[in-house]
Amino acid sequence: MSVQSAPRVTGEPAGDPAGSPAVPSVAPPRRGASVRQIVVVVVALIALVAAAIGSMTLGAVHVPLSVVIDAITGQAQDGPLKQIVLDLRLPRMVEALVVGAALGVAGALLQGALANPLASPDVMGVTGGASFGAMLILLLLPDQIALLPVGALAFGLLAAALVFLIGATGTGGGSVARLVLAGIAMTAAFQAGTTSLMALYPDRVQSAIFWLAGGLTTSGWANMRVVWPYLLVGFVLAITLTRPLDRLALGDDVAASLGSRPRAIRLTAAVAAAMLAACAAAIAGLVTFLGLFIPHVVRMASGTSSHTYVVPTSALAGAALLMVGDTLARTVAAPVELPVGPLMVLLGVPLFLWLLRRAS
Amino acid sequence: MPLLTRSAPPLDPAAPLLDARDVAVAIGGKQILHAADLRVTAGELVAIVGPNGAGKSTFARAVAGLQRTSGGTVRWSGVDVAELPGRQLAQLRAFVPQRSSVPDGVTVREAVRIGRSPHVKPLGRMMRADHEAVERAIARAGVERFAERKLTTLSGGELQRVQIAVGLAQEAPLLMADEPTSHLDLGATATLAKLLRGLTSDGLAVILVVHDLSLAAAVADRVVVIASGRSVAAGPPEEVLVRERLSEVWQVDAALETRPDGHTALHVAWLGRQERDAEAFAASSDALSPHQTHPHERTPLR
Repeated sequence: MSVQSAPRVTGEPAGDPAGSPAVPSVAPPRRGASVRQIVVVVVALIALVAAAIGSMTLGAVHVPLSVVIDAITGQAQDGPLKQIVLDLRLPRMVEALVVGAALGVAGALLQGALANPLASPDVMGVTGGASFGAMLILLLLPDQIALLPVGALAFGLLAAALVFLIGATGTGGGSVARLVLAGIAMTAAFQAGTTSLMALYPDRVQSAIFWLAGGLTTSGWANMRVVWPYLLVGFVLAITLTRPLDRLALGDDVAASLGSRPRAIRLTAAVAAAMLAACAAAIAGLVTFLGLFIPHVVRMASGTSSHTYVVPTSALAGAALLMVGDTLARTVAAPVELPVGPLMVLLGVPLFLWLLRRAS
Repeated sequence: MPLLTRSAPPLDPAAPLLDARDVAVAIGGKQILHAADLRVTAGELVAIVGPNGAGKSTFARAVAGLQRTSGGTVRWSGVDVAELPGRQLAQLRAFVPQRSSVPDGVTVREAVRIGRSPHVKPLGRMMRADHEAVERAIARAGVERFAERKLTTLSGGELQRVQIAVGLAQEAPLLMADEPTSHLDLGATATLAKLLRGLTSDGLAVILVVHDLSLAAAVADRVVVIASGRSVAAGPPEEVLVRERLSEVWQVDAALETRPDGHTALHVAWLGRQERDAEAFAASSDALSPHQTHPHERTPLR
């Protein structure tokens, strides 16, 4: 029920003899995405599919694509090839997919929620906490290596929770500056812990280097079993947040005027980003820089900042980039496996810098 | 999603669009607003005026539901503002804030579409009617010429009209604008004044928080004066913005002139009386003509 029908807003001054609502016939509403936006999605999709095929077929043992398809659809005969596909390569491909997507989405959510182009999952303290949790297991409990994702996830979430406790409660809580500063302080504290652990156990640091460099491992479904509920929550929250984040982009007052609660949006986005980034760190170590980088690439390449476009496209682009990077890392210098993290930086930075120069 | 959307209380069609009484606001333990009243019905433009720090913006934000009140009642179409879910309130009033963010990489049309979001279900798509409403808002605010441009490329006046367009896309019966002209030049101010006044002819109610008293007198049907956190006067501009009140509230010697042809002017003794007297004295002691005193020089008030 409404008081009255919403007043008709016409394009003509009152008393216009035509009297009809002036829907301009000249400029038809453009509903669809621009060509550039479509191109970005298509390129990311092609890269993703190509990398997925490469990731499944290439490696120490070449597996023909037909066998891969048969194995996945359950038509292949039992044998070593089927085992390689289902137990080794498929989980690794899925990990690349979800980690890349999680980091892309986490970065897009945080950059939108904090209205800061420098925001990445690092600012929520997630990276620092996850590193510390991983080092605890790798250096103190090297026999319990299976607990590595649990430790990274738990401490990543703990760090984010502490940041929230300090940054989002009390009077004036939830402001961007306070959250970011709390995150920086918490990151510094956990990094000090990480460095101290490494100084205390110098003989075991070797095993920590690979994790810190960041990269995927061929470890079956163990990691996914630990993180999937948090990933799911993070992605579902992200879907519900895209339109509220668009409102927030016009300012807190505009968002509130449109019926949103700016603080709630900001905190929900930060929670979702923290969950996604902690899961990513638990699976792939420190490749969190993807979270900073991917949304910028998407925005600069597509020419739009609309979150309804940037958030899902960042998921796609993140998944594509990480999968391409991981496939290259496994195959370029085979049988030596390059660390994915540094390789991604080498791949991504030139692209990023090129777009940065072109955009301005 | 029952957690996110509350059931909408029924509105009273007979009640005024906005009825705010004795509104009080305390921020951080400090009483900003003590008791302010405002009633607005369809088709009228009400200006909220008052000195800096008197509580104009706080009052506007409180009645718009953007600021928690500590006392009094705010009713939109008869329903207490606290009982209205955000989306329903957004369909009753649009609020154009004093300062809004200008995000990178967002076009005018995209911004106006965001203004339509209270009509679009969460996770739902914009319907044909929504796209039409967006185009109407763009046309009404006169921003169609640069609808495809990025917000970051616009001038202050253009940006302010886009803000109005975002509000119009809500298709709420009442539009509030907080100091929309405070950073605009003369021409842009006049364009915006015409736009806001024109909206009332379309049947909208408009609440304008404004510093410029001559502008308020020109566009408003009624003005509400806020001083020290209280609404001290309300009524037609020429009855409310009288010399005694300007002196009392703003502590200046000033008089409002409204001509029947729509011209308004505020005549102000900018340098006050004492300095003027001293100057006049100095001038006369130099044996200059007394006619050289300022033409707007007025007789003392009391």
